[in-house]
Amino acid sequence: MKSFQYATALSVDSAQQMVADNGQYIAGGNDLLGLLKEYLVDPKTLVNIKSLPGLDKIEQGKDTWTIGANVTVAQIEDHAGIKECFPGLHWAAWHVGSRQIRNVASVGGNLAQHSRCWYFRHRDVLCLKKDGDTCYARHGENRYHSLFTGNQCISPVVSNLAVAFAALDAVAVVQREGKPVSMKMAEFYADAFTSPTAHNALKPGDLILRVEIPAVRNRSHYIQASDKQEFDWALVSCAAAAKVTDGKLSQARIALGCISPVPHQVDAANEFLEGKTLDDATASQAADLVLKNAKPHGHNEYKIPLAHTLIRRTLLKLNA
Amino acid sequence: MNDPDSKKAGFFSRRSFLKSIGTTAVAGAAVQAQAVADELEKVNAEKTIGPGAVPVTLTVNGKQLKLQLEPRVTLLDALRNYSSLTGSKEGCDRGTCGACTVMINDVPVYSCMKLAIEVQGQEITTIEGLAQDGKLTAVQQAFMDRDALMCGYCTPGFVMSVTALLKKNFRPTADDVRHACVGNICRCGTYPRIMEAAFQAAGVPVPTSKTEVIRYA
Amino acid sequence: MPDTPAPKLSWPAETKYISHSTHRIDAPPKLKGEARYASDIQAEGWLYGMILRSKWPAAKITAVNLEPALKIPGIKAAILVKEGERVVHFYGEEIAAVAGATKSACLDALKAIEVTAEPLGFAVRENDAKKDDSPHVWADAPNVGTPKSTEKGQVDQAFGECDAVVEGFFTTQVAIHHPMETHGNSASWTDDGLTCWASTQGITSVRDGLAGPLKLDHSKVRVITDYMGGGFGAKFGPGPHGLLAARLSREAKAPVRLMLTRFDQALAVGNRPSSFQKIKLGAKSDGTLHAYDLDNYGTSGLGTGGTSAGGGSGIDFPAPYIYRIPNTRVKHTSVATNAGPSSAFRAPGNPTASFGMESIMDELAVKLGMDPVELRIKNDPSEIRQKEYKLGAERFGWKDKYKKPGSSPGVVKTGIGCAGSTWGGGGSNKTQAEVQINPDGSVEVRMGVQDVGTGTRTVLAVIAAEVFGLTPEQITVRVGDTHFPPGPGSGGSTTCASVSPTLFATCTDALAQLQTQAGVTDAKGDNWTAACKKLGVNPLVVQGKFAQGLSSRGTGGVQFAEVEVDTETGLVTVKKIAGVHDCGLIVNKITTESQIYGGMIMGMGYALYEERVMDWQSGVVLNPNFETYKLTGLSDIPEFDLVLLNMPERGVIGIGEPAIIPTASAIANAVANAIGARVNSLPITPAKVLAALGKVPPSTATAS
Repeated sequence: MKSFQYATALSVDSAQQMVADNGQYIAGGNDLLGLLKEYLVDPKTLVNIKSLPGLDKIEQGKDTWTIGANVTVAQIEDHAGIKECFPGLHWAAWHVGSRQIRNVASVGGNLAQHSRCWYFRHRDVLCLKKDGDTCYARHGENRYHSLFTGNQCISPVVSNLAVAFAALDAVAVVQREGKPVSMKMAEFYADAFTSPTAHNALKPGDLILRVEIPAVRNRSHYIQASDKQEFDWALVSCAAAAKVTDGKLSQARIALGCISPVPHQVDAANEFLEGKTLDDATASQAADLVLKNAKPHGHNEYKIPLAHTLIRRTLLKLNA
Repeated sequence: MNDPDSKKAGFFSRRSFLKSIGTTAVAGAAVQAQAVADELEKVNAEKTIGPGAVPVTLTVNGKQLKLQLEPRVTLLDALRNYSSLTGSKEGCDRGTCGACTVMINDVPVYSCMKLAIEVQGQEITTIEGLAQDGKLTAVQQAFMDRDALMCGYCTPGFVMSVTALLKKNFRPTADDVRHACVGNICRCGTYPRIMEAAFQAAGVPVPTSKTEVIRYA
Repeated sequence: MPDTPAPKLSWPAETKYISHSTHRIDAPPKLKGEARYASDIQAEGWLYGMILRSKWPAAKITAVNLEPALKIPGIKAAILVKEGERVVHFYGEEIAAVAGATKSACLDALKAIEVTAEPLGFAVRENDAKKDDSPHVWADAPNVGTPKSTEKGQVDQAFGECDAVVEGFFTTQVAIHHPMETHGNSASWTDDGLTCWASTQGITSVRDGLAGPLKLDHSKVRVITDYMGGGFGAKFGPGPHGLLAARLSREAKAPVRLMLTRFDQALAVGNRPSSFQKIKLGAKSDGTLHAYDLDNYGTSGLGTGGTSAGGGSGIDFPAPYIYRIPNTRVKHTSVATNAGPSSAFRAPGNPTASFGMESIMDELAVKLGMDPVELRIKNDPSEIRQKEYKLGAERFGWKDKYKKPGSSPGVVKTGIGCAGSTWGGGGSNKTQAEVQINPDGSVEVRMGVQDVGTGTRTVLAVIAAEVFGLTPEQITVRVGDTHFPPGPGSGGSTTCASVSPTLFATCTDALAQLQTQAGVTDAKGDNWTAACKKLGVNPLVVQGKFAQGLSSRGTGGVQFAEVEVDTETGLVTVKKIAGVHDCGLIVNKITTESQIYGGMIMGMGYALYEERVMDWQSGVVLNPNFETYKLTGLSDIPEFDLVLLNMPERGVIGIGEPAIIPTASAIANAVANAIGARVNSLPITPAKVLAALGKVPPSTATAS
């Protein structure tokens, strides 16, 4: 790594001031240290945000759960209440990396993490996402890449938590220019869909404060498919959530990870499920709607039948 | 106290302090000094350090290590190359293999992905800190009994992960062991023995892998 | 050097330790973090070394400016790999090296070095390099080497005589050794010469590889390997890093510790070559194999050997693998690419050979309507392996489990497969040992062999304990030093067969000499202490060498795999791997088992997860890390079942490599049996399974 300065912020305002002059926030540090070690980022100062008060709690409110940005993925995994109320979030957390990673990884960091595309992560490839001319994945090795995108870069979002949050219609609250701004997952990643150099829609200095989850959906699940059983990025991940009453779905949400720069959701699919009872046929039709217009590149077409299967299986779990 | 400020853990508000010490002249002077000290502490706590080396004190295996480290030095680097604790190994330096696993306040982490300056004031346990007076712990003994090591390079990391697991969950299932230790990679192929060792150390029945030696006739 | 005792030696029929299980005697230091590997050797004043590598897959380097590096505080030396203009041929080739007081200083220094280069054309994929208009990897040679062809019998005529003919095209990936400890060493100069603490499988190979280029007598180079973190064939010779460490140390006038990074490991220190195997196999209706044709090509990167003194890893492999076929045609063609050179990787060529052969054998079995195990038994020239198939099949429940391919009901289909392995092993008759018996009864064994994780130290302790009637814990074993009598390199699965006879002979002689000197008829066991006391003041030091008759060559084994394939996701789960292996006399049972598990687990990686991926556009290795070069993990392993055939009359043979050979083949056959369609390309990924099932086009499933 190049050398850098280091400071600990004790308030959100201090943090945002400190980071303004070529600084980067450091929470768990898994993603940031990886980027630093490959010389992919060059901050002058690391601003430690782990001491910011009040960002490390999981709180159950009447209608909304709040998870502080500094809550670790391990804390989410271990939380009995979350496992009961939001099993989709529990399993998404369970699958993040390894225990050693989950013990330090923060919710905020998991959402904000940079692309895992191997061209982006390569120290000696100047790809489009790093302001180069070419998306190397498009005509190169793209087995792990997107089926949907709004720009030339085909690197997908891989955050497990983002996919679960999307299905739960959760909102990330971000401090921006002195005020908290609420963003659903679609907004949180919107810029990554439209702009090749963006990983998400955070602006410099933005500080994630918490994620708020409406408690309305009483069923949720998350499944991912990866080459290895554990400690492997998903090839495709899927989360689904809905309010299920007498076997009928309402406010259903399906979200897919690893196939788009944004957790992939299709309104038509969610609307289709409204009022429906889940069976193989319904689940399959919903999957068709989610994957409509999927555009594979040279080597990731397998993601389409794989995603279709995961959607069906995740949805059918909502019946359980 | 009904003071809303006092709900914040560790936060010492001026109002609550004032209330608690009364209003004598001596107290008044002390309050002023305390207020200045508070402000200084806040400024110091938010002080920018580096990029050059700064004093860093690490509490490792119960002992204090006083080092001079740049902020960019990882805990692993500090242990191996600035002190002589070479038990934790560097396998990948990217948080993908577990050879560098240590415990911080009994929680297993990748020391290669932790800046040393960030773990001051925390209890760091490395492989060297497990055996007391040279006697192997139950986990270490189980590893030896079950041949859960070969070249030994991944071994300190695995021992730390299994030790940390058993501290948290003293009767793990096979799934628990796998989920807790999957962050450690072994190229020699000790995995089935590691499972056995974890069960033995936990004092639960060990489902041994089946091996039979047959005399060729 | 005293001759070994005149009477012919043989292994004792009744043993206390040999063939039983003894825990590794070096377990405690490893478990406590006290074992010092090459990267752990350090002291005050020692420097850190780092290598600057080419970021071009091919380039003419016209200038390298080291001055800015030397200005970085803490940097004590900066050197070039080679002076003058030169051409680099792969992404990662060594250009320069620095030595400094800290890792951080070295990293800054590498960044500061200025390299002026003119990029050249390159080809990193085999099929690109084969094209007529491809850039040349080597300026003065074609990328496609002269094919090596052999023929036996009348192949074309023989195919005409067959009742069943099957054809297939099978490919395997380039795989990387990736031992948990990277390559590297520490180098220190004194008046007495150079000492090198190396992570190596062959201390002698490192010594010789350093002495030459550094113009030192062998007697002035000492190599020490007390502990090392795995090699799997890649760690022979000093490598460029060994030489650079020594040169840096000499330049900086301070010891230098130079270890490679995990990134470096994927680029420059060896790999298993790829294969593209076009196979045709024909048989009579009763299953007798009659004709075989193999046309194979693959890449060793720049070429075999190269930077590794271990050599022995061209793209070719034994063919036809194992089976007895009277009419054969075999052609191997090496294709050069701008990628790191290959080096011997656990059973070089064999897992690759096995995959093609065992896959086509199963295709043939299906065509003939014959049981795959029966087909193999019929054509396997080894009686031992035939027995292993019978034994293993029964234990595995083969007959009950075997179903027509693809006939397993449901979405998740089960299937089984099998494959065989054959290997040489055997012992090196150049091995020597030294045994010191002290008057206080303590015993020291010294041999210049290295324990790469296989348990060699423990084997030595077991042998000595057996002969002297002591316990293995009572034996002090010293290995890994070129100051000790020469031991074998730890490769070829020859270590155990080299050291065991040597030490057995030496200890037998030492016991005889002790008894003579002490004037006792039996100094063993309970009599030991009293006998040793009679030595008086001087220890008894006995040297010995390899003795014939205690080892032999030729091992075999068979493995069976049971898998589940989810036909909607393409995911493969290995449920069980069973093996029946022979290795002659089992010296230490528990460590022998561990070697076999290790081979099976590594074989699983070859089957399902591992693949070095090159980018054809930039020429770089895309997965120089454990994130996307995937190794079998703890959660991936199946149930194991192992049978060891103990054959003491054959002496010690070897086991490390036979264990990895058939695993991927058995898994591939099991997958084909499960889904009724064959994935003929390793690694077997979900994409390839879905392609085999017709759910995606095949072209989308393999690498670019």
